[in-house]
Amino acid sequence: MTDAPVKNLVTASGPEPAPEPASSSRAPRRKARTRPAKEPKRKITWDRIKAQRVLLLMAVPLLMYQILFKYVPVYGWAIAFQDYKPGRGNIWNQEWVGFENFVDLFTGVNGERFRRVVVNTLGQSVLTLVVGTLGAIVLALLLNEVKNAPFKRIMQNITYMPHFLSWVIVASLASVALSLPSSGGFINQGLMNLGIVQEPILFLTEPNHFWGIVAGTSLWKELGWNTILYLAAITAIDPSLYEAAEVDGAGRYRKMWNITLPGIRPTIVVLLIINSGWILSTNFELPYFLGNGLISETAETIDVFVLRYGYQLGNYSLAVVAGIFKTVVAIILVGSANMAAKRLNQETLV
Amino acid sequence: MSSTLAPKSLERSAASPRRRRHKWTTERIIFTTLNTSFLVLLGALMLYPLLNTLAISLNDGMDAVRGGIGIWPRVFSLKNYEVVLNMDSIYQAFIMSVLKTVVVVATNLLFTSMLAYALSRKEFIFRRPITLIFVLTLYFDAGLIPNYLLIKDLGMLNSFQAYWVPTIISAFNLIILRTYMKSIPEEITESARIDGAGEFRTWWQIIMPLCKPVLAVVGLFVAVGSWNAWLDTLLYNSGDPALTTLQYELQKLLASSMNAGANSGNSAANAASVGAGGQLTTPIALRSAITMVAAVPILLVYPFLQKHFVSGLMIGSVKG
Amino acid sequence: MSAGLVACTSDSDPDDGPSKPVVIPEGDLADKSGTLTPSNPTTLTTWITTASQAPAADNKITKLLKDQLGVTLEYEIVTPDNVDQKIGVMLAGGQYPDLVGTTDLKMRLLEGGALLRLDDMLATGDYPNLATHVEDDIKKMSYSGEEVDPGLYIFPNYNRFYGEVTGGTYYGPAFWIQKRVLEDAGWPDLNNMTLERYFQLIADYKEKNPETEGAPTVGFEVLASTGREWGMTNPPALLAGSPNNGGVIVDDSNNAQIYADKDIAKDFYKVLNEQYAAGLVDRESFTLTFDQYVAKLATGAVLGMHDQGWDFQTATDSLRSAGKDQYTYVPLMPVYDGAEPWYADRPVMNTNQGFGISVSSKQPEKAMKFLDLMLSEPWQKVLSWGIEGEDYQVGDDGMFTRTDEQRANARDLTWRASNRLEALLDVLPKHNGQFTDGNAYSPDDQPAEFFATLTDYDRNVMEQYGKKTWLEFMNPQPENPKYYPAWNITLSDDANQVNQQLTDANVQNLPKIIAGDPADFEASWNAYVDTIKKIDVKVYEDAINAGIQERLANW
Repeated sequence: MTDAPVKNLVTASGPEPAPEPASSSRAPRRKARTRPAKEPKRKITWDRIKAQRVLLLMAVPLLMYQILFKYVPVYGWAIAFQDYKPGRGNIWNQEWVGFENFVDLFTGVNGERFRRVVVNTLGQSVLTLVVGTLGAIVLALLLNEVKNAPFKRIMQNITYMPHFLSWVIVASLASVALSLPSSGGFINQGLMNLGIVQEPILFLTEPNHFWGIVAGTSLWKELGWNTILYLAAITAIDPSLYEAAEVDGAGRYRKMWNITLPGIRPTIVVLLIINSGWILSTNFELPYFLGNGLISETAETIDVFVLRYGYQLGNYSLAVVAGIFKTVVAIILVGSANMAAKRLNQETLV
Repeated sequence: MSSTLAPKSLERSAASPRRRRHKWTTERIIFTTLNTSFLVLLGALMLYPLLNTLAISLNDGMDAVRGGIGIWPRVFSLKNYEVVLNMDSIYQAFIMSVLKTVVVVATNLLFTSMLAYALSRKEFIFRRPITLIFVLTLYFDAGLIPNYLLIKDLGMLNSFQAYWVPTIISAFNLIILRTYMKSIPEEITESARIDGAGEFRTWWQIIMPLCKPVLAVVGLFVAVGSWNAWLDTLLYNSGDPALTTLQYELQKLLASSMNAGANSGNSAANAASVGAGGQLTTPIALRSAITMVAAVPILLVYPFLQKHFVSGLMIGSVKG
Repeated sequence: MSAGLVACTSDSDPDDGPSKPVVIPEGDLADKSGTLTPSNPTTLTTWITTASQAPAADNKITKLLKDQLGVTLEYEIVTPDNVDQKIGVMLAGGQYPDLVGTTDLKMRLLEGGALLRLDDMLATGDYPNLATHVEDDIKKMSYSGEEVDPGLYIFPNYNRFYGEVTGGTYYGPAFWIQKRVLEDAGWPDLNNMTLERYFQLIADYKEKNPETEGAPTVGFEVLASTGREWGMTNPPALLAGSPNNGGVIVDDSNNAQIYADKDIAKDFYKVLNEQYAAGLVDRESFTLTFDQYVAKLATGAVLGMHDQGWDFQTATDSLRSAGKDQYTYVPLMPVYDGAEPWYADRPVMNTNQGFGISVSSKQPEKAMKFLDLMLSEPWQKVLSWGIEGEDYQVGDDGMFTRTDEQRANARDLTWRASNRLEALLDVLPKHNGQFTDGNAYSPDDQPAEFFATLTDYDRNVMEQYGKKTWLEFMNPQPENPKYYPAWNITLSDDANQVNQQLTDANVQNLPKIIAGDPADFEASWNAYVDTIKKIDVKVYEDAINAGIQERLANW
């Protein structure tokens, strides 16, 4: 990433796309806002604080509130440095062990396995995120092209319905769908009817298929739900842009590519940055319910591992250690994503 | 969130008007047909799980165990719903769930949007540090026990406050709202200020109406989250039957239906008397009925919010 | 019920202000000591871990408690799925209800200091039913560790037996086989069963009947779904004639050893591997969720499997309600040459479950009295059978019977909410076995009830084998060893971790061994044994052995 001169032309956090160098300005520019190229560094002075007292009044009490409810309880992380036994009473009444729990997790008897579950978590998560984001954008664009309002509404409502089924039910449906035709496996049935395969595939016995199965199942469940935000973003695009484009003879795909997508780009970017931090916090149920001994090498994720070796064994410290690990990774990832977005002159989180 | 501006696209399309006008209708017909077919297919795929769950919920429990039910019940029965709806606590739990959801949505939208407004203001000097503090909370969880002790020390155990006070700000929604607000042209706030409006009035009377679509979405997110939550009931309010919620009660019922089939090893309860007949529920059938009862009320929220998904709001405001 | 006896015991509750005259109702259900009376109402807060549901507001037993004892129970019910989280915060908060009912988490409550030591109260002699209940097993029931004072803290809820153990259904582990297979084979002799004969029966039948109601017939299903891996891992010990001790076999000198990597295991998985190759074992076995597993059994297509009876009860119920008795199962006990089958064991008491009284309780005597009264025979009958004339009848011979309608009611979740105190009963100490009048503790253990619900098909199956109950198909149950069972020994964190590693090694390797090419069997088996060698098995075995020695010394 080079520090392109472009950077000086737009605000670092502004939602505008990077402007093209050349400009034959038949485009409607009446909404163009020319913002200062870069926010000037502002000194915090009493005068400024006083001038902004109302904004401060809006923000500071809520900030205090957030610190009380989210940051104060973080003292609970002390458990990570203890041999925590609930029976010993409160959290300060425990035996301190330093970084022993961390060392144990990364290099102990299960160290190799922990590294593998981190890889599985990343694999499942990145695939789910990519497939899910692309799917949601495509569906949003397609829905946006529907001119029949009732049909559009109905489709929106139908596609978001699977979100309301629990993962247990979805996992169970997926498991049936992927089974042998005699057990109701319609995917195998379809593949065989189409002549793609001769013999049914036992999908859930193949380690190589599992990440795809997780991504596919999540797509099925969350596609419509993930589309909602993009649809809301599309509503805010100025219709006159489309009108002007039509006057210019732009077709459907050109408008999608050149108006709709850039219009929702800030949303896409912000969601991607936020999600980048959740990459280690995957869905727990799918690997738990669909995983089995034959495919555990690709199925087991951090959360499943923590359940087996943490909660189920009463080893709370391990669970907290894993939580801290995920937080640290999340902050690194989000920070990097945010910085990358800033370099590319995209919307940023902070 | 969304730019109202896309200069380069227009420039490009203006530069190369390749598409020929008279092909427009044909293309449109083809596209619409393809698009509609695709969406209908997709819709069928998405509708299937819910219809399947509905069919199982309307099926005799003993028969449902055999599996293989599609979108139509094989042996029709209302027994599963009878069990769920006859549950003593369910109506009160339903009312509590609605009340809780309404209060959480209202407080959340109010406080989150107010903060988002402040953080969307470029000149606000503490914008970045405050945003950072909120963003970080997306990525860590302090753990159940410290959270519980906090609620306890604040005297909010077994109280309605435990449902909404800890959740008046959602960092995720804050970012969504702030991003959207940042895309609102500054001229609007500037002209408001010239008219003598203070920050509160600008937020409430100028910005909020412009944010309707995104407020609808955030409202939906919060409503669904609050409706589906049961951990707060378990941890903070399970000691007071008046504060129980629908999801929590359904969750317990589900456990007891599982139990009815499976505890025989120990207690030998009820196991021998099956041959006597009588329609019985089974975990799989009851789980489906429970899912429907829990999901349908919240599924109905989205259609009501859709009317806010109207484009061009902002334009009208700028022009007017 | 009319108020009868009037006693003037003003010392019953000094906290309740000016004492009213105590009115004790007539009848068996009243508290003759006058501690719990309608004239002096008591509210007990009750925390229960159970999957059973809370009573409805109109519950008739709730009303009976109020009328007879003046007791109102305020329930806080937490299901087993949620209890880990709830117990953690409850201990952190340090406030507990009067009565604390636990399942399997006694240790955490105990070590967290939530429970009251009950020995001194018991010694007062005011609680005769409880005293009798714990008399013979006090050592087994008491805590003997070092975290808190040793002593009695809870009253175990199940399997402290009075009189004879009755009941005709078998809920334990077995190799199950469909009745139609036996019928087709001309009711073969089931004694001295071996794996070879078991699979031969299945193979012969499958050969003749490749389809069952349109679906392919499945020879043998391996139960391996998450949390139920024991369906796949437990058979070697049973085949070797050892009772269910979990992952270990305990020899005559009380020395425990894992068997997963031993020859008895290898022999079993070799047979499964061969049968898998022969197409007898379901190819889908290892990918089925538990729901799918039950569904498959409920279609009637599965000829046999290893499982515990309670686990697939839903499938059995479904088949019976559809009138398809020929698809239900008979338990078989294959063993290796020279081994005596020990599949069925005597029901064991789980001393980690039951009611205790919390340290926060302001009325421990009343709470204790309540538990004591609930354990009396009259109340036990009310709790387990219901109200005489409404929920059951008493015959001329004094035996309790039920009509079909009463049986159906007892299966109905809605009815039970209004007519049973299921959640409470689940955790209360029980009069398992028989009452002094000869009736069984619960309808399901009552022999007459068992026979009344047998279908003609099942009667015929029993006649063919000259048996009267399903239990008689199993081995006679010898006295359990003193330490038994090893699977509920409380382990240290390290030992638990090793145990989990062993389970994981099984789950990851056994399916590959079973489903692999028979030519690769030796190689896959060796890889599995190598995996186990890398695990510090000794930590686990030592912990089990220490537990056994501790029990031998203290029980």
